[in-house]
Order: sequence, then structure tokens, then C-alpha cells
Amino acid sequence: MSLVASALSYGYREREIGRDIALDLTGGQVLALLGPNGHGKTTLLKTLLGLLPAKGGTLTLDGQPLAGLSVGERARALAYVPQVHAGTFAFAVSEVVLMGRTARSSLFAAPSAHDRDMVEAMLQRLGIEHLATRPYTEISGGERQLVMIARALAQEPRYVILDEPTASLDFGNQGKVMSQIRRLAGEGLGVLFTTHDPNQALRYADRALLLRDGQALASGKASDLLTPERLAALYGVAIETVRGDGKLAFLPG
Amino acid sequence: MPHPDRRAVLAGLGAAIAAPRLARAATIRDGAGREIQVPGKVERIFPAGPPAAILVYTLAPDLLIGWPRANRPEEREFLLPGIGDRPEVGRITGRGNSANLEAVLQAKPDLIIDSGSTGRTYVELAERVQQQTGIPYALLDGRFDQTPASYRILGQLTGRSERAETLARWCEDSFATIRGRITAIPAEKRPSVYYARGPRGLETGLGGSINVETLSFLGSRNAAADTPGSGLAQVSLEQVLAWNPDVIVTIDLAFAESVRSDPNWAGVKAVREGRVHLSPKLPFGWVDFPPSVNRAIGLWWLAKLLYPAQFPEDIRKLARDFHTLFYQVTPSEAQLDRVLAGRG
Amino acid sequence: MTSSLRGNLIALVLLALAVLAAFALGRFPVAPGDLGRLFWSLLTGEPSSLPAQIETVVWNIRGPRILAAILCGAALAIAGCAFQGLFRNPLVSPDILGASSGAALGAVIGIYLSLGLFGIQLAAFVGGLVAVGAVYAVGSTIRRGDPVLVLVLTGVVVGSLLGAGIGLVKYWADPYNQLPAMTFWLLGSLAGTAKPDLIPLLGPVLIGAVILLALRWRMNVMSLPEEEARALGLATGPLRIAIVAAATLVTAASVAAAGIIGWVGLVVPHLARFLVGPDFGRLLPTAALLGGGYLLAIDTLARTAAPVETPLGILTAVIGTPFFIWLLASARGGWS
Repeated sequence: MSLVASALSYGYREREIGRDIALDLTGGQVLALLGPNGHGKTTLLKTLLGLLPAKGGTLTLDGQPLAGLSVGERARALAYVPQVHAGTFAFAVSEVVLMGRTARSSLFAAPSAHDRDMVEAMLQRLGIEHLATRPYTEISGGERQLVMIARALAQEPRYVILDEPTASLDFGNQGKVMSQIRRLAGEGLGVLFTTHDPNQALRYADRALLLRDGQALASGKASDLLTPERLAALYGVAIETVRGDGKLAFLPG
Repeated sequence: MPHPDRRAVLAGLGAAIAAPRLARAATIRDGAGREIQVPGKVERIFPAGPPAAILVYTLAPDLLIGWPRANRPEEREFLLPGIGDRPEVGRITGRGNSANLEAVLQAKPDLIIDSGSTGRTYVELAERVQQQTGIPYALLDGRFDQTPASYRILGQLTGRSERAETLARWCEDSFATIRGRITAIPAEKRPSVYYARGPRGLETGLGGSINVETLSFLGSRNAAADTPGSGLAQVSLEQVLAWNPDVIVTIDLAFAESVRSDPNWAGVKAVREGRVHLSPKLPFGWVDFPPSVNRAIGLWWLAKLLYPAQFPEDIRKLARDFHTLFYQVTPSEAQLDRVLAGRG
Repeated sequence: MTSSLRGNLIALVLLALAVLAAFALGRFPVAPGDLGRLFWSLLTGEPSSLPAQIETVVWNIRGPRILAAILCGAALAIAGCAFQGLFRNPLVSPDILGASSGAALGAVIGIYLSLGLFGIQLAAFVGGLVAVGAVYAVGSTIRRGDPVLVLVLTGVVVGSLLGAGIGLVKYWADPYNQLPAMTFWLLGSLAGTAKPDLIPLLGPVLIGAVILLALRWRMNVMSLPEEEARALGLATGPLRIAIVAAATLVTAASVAAAGIIGWVGLVVPHLARFLVGPDFGRLLPTAALLGGGYLLAIDTLARTAAPVETPLGILTAVIGTPFFIWLLASARGGWS
């Protein structure tokens, strides 16, 4: 049971962004897609989600070609947590999470009691039940990120794919969101997130894939893979290593 | 070099001084009070719009260069052959300016005639076109009761004063006769009239509008007269029921055909009493448009509808005479039937 | 009481008041007692023994017009909600894809060709559908960028072309007869509405409204960015076509019946969101009720303020503009 890409090339209709990607996301595991901004991380995510057709190679979800699945089938397996945005309309938080039930009900159906229970459960799971009636446009960025995760969980997916989950968050919220992500894997979900911060990959991911210019520089177990040398190659700057208390952190420059 | 002859110099000077005087003598005031130089010869007239075209046609058909909009075949048969079918030349005034000034020049007119509003907009338009083209541009007052005056101005401009006087007199005599017979009618005996336009009959002319000038002339009570304004407006059927007019005059065939059997209109007095009248419109409308001398025969027609007791005249004869005098084509009986049926 | 229930209750009360006022007011005097007797006879089937003319005024003139105003107002309001959601932009109105301009071009061509009443209405309806169909077809051949943005831009471009077409037909039109008719049509009015006009209005509006109401829970997701909506499991392409088609159907039908009436489709969705929030499940029913009541109130004003009718398009603009400014000023952060 896994989301597997091999020799995957991806990009837009007239432009290839990356190629030769091999990755394997299994349940209970966190995979970090690490790389500098503008090197094709988001495009790869959209390809893995089936939102962009693959340009070459194979991409399978639990053994079946992803391209052969319907949008509904994909959404019941793969959940997407986009980068946080404010949204146009002031939906209440619970309404936003309810949208996660789209693929679990028929086209014309009104939300069922089960759907609403599920929403409540997901809000509780992420500790944001007090926000339920607040307009999504008026809560903080960290809270929005948690709402997006709750929405993804409401899909009852097997895999959750997050795009820069901490990009616009303050220090404290980054910690909150990342520990929630770690928890998801603990509950058996396959989790993939993109980040440009090697420390997050090091701390929260089991495995990592280093992406530069649309190609995988390296991939493997995060703690083995993340060395100052590889990071220097990835980002094009010298990397300083800080050690202490049995833990490791990287500093740029 | 011989000295110039003293007398010749004086004569020259005299001529120089006299010339503008002579020129001034050859100007007249148009309907807007503008001074217009009378052209030496007028062989071609460009009509600025439909009312002017009709006025020029009735006075001097041979001078008319063309029509603002080509006449349809059923209209042409009431007009002089070779003139009713003259080409479409567009409009200079009106809401769409469809005549190109270069095309106007190419038509080589000696005179441009416009008939309609003499408001500032049109005076300035006339001035500008006159300046740009160098062709005298006379603006005639298009109000219905000014028709005789317009004929006389046009007669002087074209050197056809005699026929102009005949036509002007016909109008004046009609006006006088009709006025004379209706002045004695007390206000409460005058019918209220609803003027219906549009396929539902729910467009009407407000009190001051050019569309209902002849109705106002006849002293009838215009149902919509109380509403200020000088254009067309929409009204609700409910309002018509509230007005409950004695007579309905319409120009719309579809409305005239449907109103008699429409249960919603059945309560209106005019419908109940069979006093819904469809205006003749060949070759030009008798009531509303174009607002030109074509409405003079409509005046008689309306007078008979509104005050049948006071106007025993035969409308067929009146129409035949009007056509013969103004359009210079005497219609056959069959043609008259078609005119009076209001179709076309 | 939930906000949804309260919102619908307010909308329903406003609509009921508007209906009551619309039946009671008019240029033809009908005494309140007579009106009561007419309603009583409608309920019991007993003859009212009132003059036929009063029955005509109430049932044949006011009745169809009231129904038409409610239908048009409701149609424009839900179409406005649908398009605002679809284009993720609260400043969008139902004519964004050219439905109104297309219908207007159809109508002025119909008037120019001297078609009958039904012909003009049909020409307007078809014009609206064809215009939006063309916008959609052209928009889908452009495969660059956000499909929604491409669609809006195509709509703007095609709309201005249609505007030029309208101008051209008006320019050709006979200035004495056709031009005033076109002007009246373009300003919007329900003045002539009679029973036979209701069928070509009722049919499309009901079909479109049923589709939109059935899809209303999915419209929330459609108001998200394209890829997010797809990631949530929505086949956005077919759904967008369905929503555009249904919203266009109701818009074209109401424009064909009443002419161009701006503002309703823009202002009423805001008012409805103000009452019940942005969730389409609750928004659409409330907007339909509010829109119906709003246009009915405006139309009642249009036919009672003066002996001659005031064009609806002018009244909705005169009332809509200050209202919209007030709404903007008093809106909480973001679009409520």
C-alpha cells in the first residue's frame, strides 16, 4: 500500500519542470520533499496528487495507475493541504472542514449527520473545536493551517500531501503544525510535505528527497541523508552544523 | 500709365459697397431665425432627415436628391415615379448621424434642408455643417403648426413661392376650419384620448411630445398629458384602465388587432365602444412619424374620430385630394382602401 | 434560532410584505376590502361579485406581473450567487459571461426585424444562451493560465463586442419607432407582462433554479481555487459547465422577460450573505427569496410612483448604488 513514482517526469503542457523522480510513500511514514524555492516542489506535489498529468514514467496509488482513477477516487485516498490563503468568502471554519467530505457524498446530497460528526471529530482532533463558528477569513495563519489539515482528514484519506505547511507561520505555530503532521503518521497515514527548511525534514520526517532543478539529488532516510555536504550542494551555500543534547541542526552560511 | 477714370473708380467703389447690400437683400431668416443666403439657383436639395425630405418632396419633388431611408415598394407606389425611388442618402441630424459629409458634398446639393427642433443643438449643427461644406443649411421649425411658415421659407429658398403658398394655404385653411368647429365644444364634451404605441399598446406620447402634436392641436384630453415630459414613455395597463380613455389611437397593427379581443382591455371605454383606431401610414404616417406635413391629413382623420358630429366630411375624398395636391399622385380606390386600413 | 432560519424568516417576511403591497398598490384604485374579498373568493371558490374590471386588474394585470417580478428577481439573485462563487469574486454579476448583452443584442435584432412579442422574447433568450456558449467555447480553447480567469476575460471581451453590435443595430434602427422600443427594452421593464409571458419565463427559471439548488452544496467547493476543488474530489470541468448553463438559463429567461435589470444579481447575493453567511446551501434559498422580494418592491415602485412607468434598470441602479456603498462600508473584514 503506497504511492509510488518511478522515472516520473512532470511539468506543464509545453514545459517540463522535472524528471527521473523515484519515490515511495507508505502509510505511517513521513516523507519530506526538501529543496530551495522555485525548484519544482509544488509542481511535483500537484503531479503526485493527480492534478497535473505526469509527462512520463509511472505513478501508482496502491498498485493502480493514478491517472486511471476518477477525481473522487483520488480524493478518497489522497488529501491535499495547500499553502494557506485567506479565501474569498467568509465561510465558517466548520463549513470549510465540511468541504473535506465532498468526495464522500453524492453530487446533490446535503451534508449528513455523519458528515457533521466527522467535522466535529476532526476539529477536536486538531484542538480547534472552539473555532468552529468563526469565519475562516478572520483567524490566524496557524489556525488556518490547522483547519486545512482538519479538512484533509475529513476526507478520510490514506495519504496527506502538504505544500509548505509552515511557510507563513510564526515560530510557535510551526511547532504546533509540525507535531500534528507527525501525529498523522503515527495514526497510520502516509504523509508527504514540502519544505525548504532542512531542520524540519530532519526533525519530523522519516525519509527525505532532495529536489534541485526538478531532479532528485538524493533520497533516503532523513537522518542519514541530511549532511552538510548534501545541503550545501542543494542550496548552493555553505552550511554550519550545530550539535547538542544528542540533536543536530543546520544553519545557513 | 493713364489715370483711371474717376467715374469708373466711383462706380467700382459703389459696386463694392452695394454688393453686400444686394447679397443681404438675398437672405432670409430660417425657422430658427438664422440668416440664410438664398442660393442663385437651386436644383438639388439634400434633406437632413425624413421630415425635411417629405416637406421638400411635397413642394418641389424634382429637387430632392434622395431619401434619408429608401422608401419601401408599398410606399413608393404613392409617390411620383422616378422620385419616390430615389436613393438612400442617410440622415444628418437625428439620433444617428448616418450621412457622411463627404458623401453629402459628392451629392452636389445647392441647399441642405432640415426640419425639426430649432434648439441650440440643431442650430449649432446647422452652422457647423454649413461652414464645413459651404452649402447653405436652412433649419425649419418642425412643429406641426409651423408647417405653413416652413413652406413659405422653403418656397423663397427654392424660388417656388407660388406652390408653397398653395400648400401653406391648404394647411392654414384646414387649421382654421378645424379650430373653428371645435372651439365651441366645452372641455367636458371633448373625448379623452390614449395614444398607444408598441405591440402591447403600452408606450405613449407625453403631453409635450411631438408624437401627439395633432392630438393636442385638436384640443382632446390626452390621457398622459399630466405627466411632464416631451417624449415617449411606458405605462402600465392598469394606468390605462384608470384613465379609461374614450378613444384609443394607435399606430401599431399588432396591438390594434389584439386589443379588441383581449379580456384585459375589455373594460376600457374606448374598447367597449369600438373607438380604437389604427392610424393610416401610407406613404407616411398620419399621426406620429415622420413629424412632417403628412400629419395634416391625419389631422382631419383624427378630427372626424374625435368629433364625428362636427366633421361630416368624407375622409376618402379628403385623402384623395390631399394625395393629389401634396404627393401629386392620385390614388386609386383600391389604394385608398389600403391607406385607410392602416396597414403597410 | 440558527442564523439560517432567521435569515430565511426575514427574507420570507420581506417577500410576503412586498407581495401584499404589490397587490394593494397600483394606478387603478382597488379598495383593501375588495382585495380581501377577491382573495377570499380565490380561497373558497365563491364568486366575489366585484366588477369584472377589478378582478382583471388584480388577477390579470397585477398577478402575472407580481409573479414575473419575483421570478426575475429570484433568478438574477441566484445566478449572481452562482457566478460570484464560480468566479471567486464578490463583484461579479450574472452578466459576467455576456448573458445580458447577448440577450440585449437578440432583443434589439428582434425589434429591428419587427418580430412579434414572443419572437423578441425568444430572440433575447437565444441571444443570451448563444453569447455565453460562445464565451465558453472560446474560453476553453485557450489553455493557458487559470481557466476561470480566462473565462472572465473572454466574457469581458465578447461582452464589449456584443455592446458594439447593439449600438450598430440601434444605429440602423428607424429613429421614430424602433429606437424608442429598443431604448425601453434596454432600460428594463415588466410593464406589459401578461399571463402568456409567464410560461417562457417560468420554465427556464424553474429548470435552472432546480439545477443550481441541487448543486448548492457543491458550489462551496467550486468557490475554492481550481486545484483545491479538484483535490477535494470535485470534477470541476463538468460541474462548471452545469453551473454556468443553469445560471445562464435563468439569467437569459429573466432578461428576455424584463429587459436589462442590473444590480439585483450583484447586490442581493451580498445582502443574503450578510444574513446567512456564504455557505451556498443556505445562501441560495435566502438569496432567491430576497431577490424576489427586492425586485417586486422595486417594480411596485416603478408602476406606482408616476402615471408613466419608471424603468426598472434605473430604479435598481438608483437604489442599488447607495445600498451597495453602505454594504461595503459596514461589511466586516473580508466579504461576508
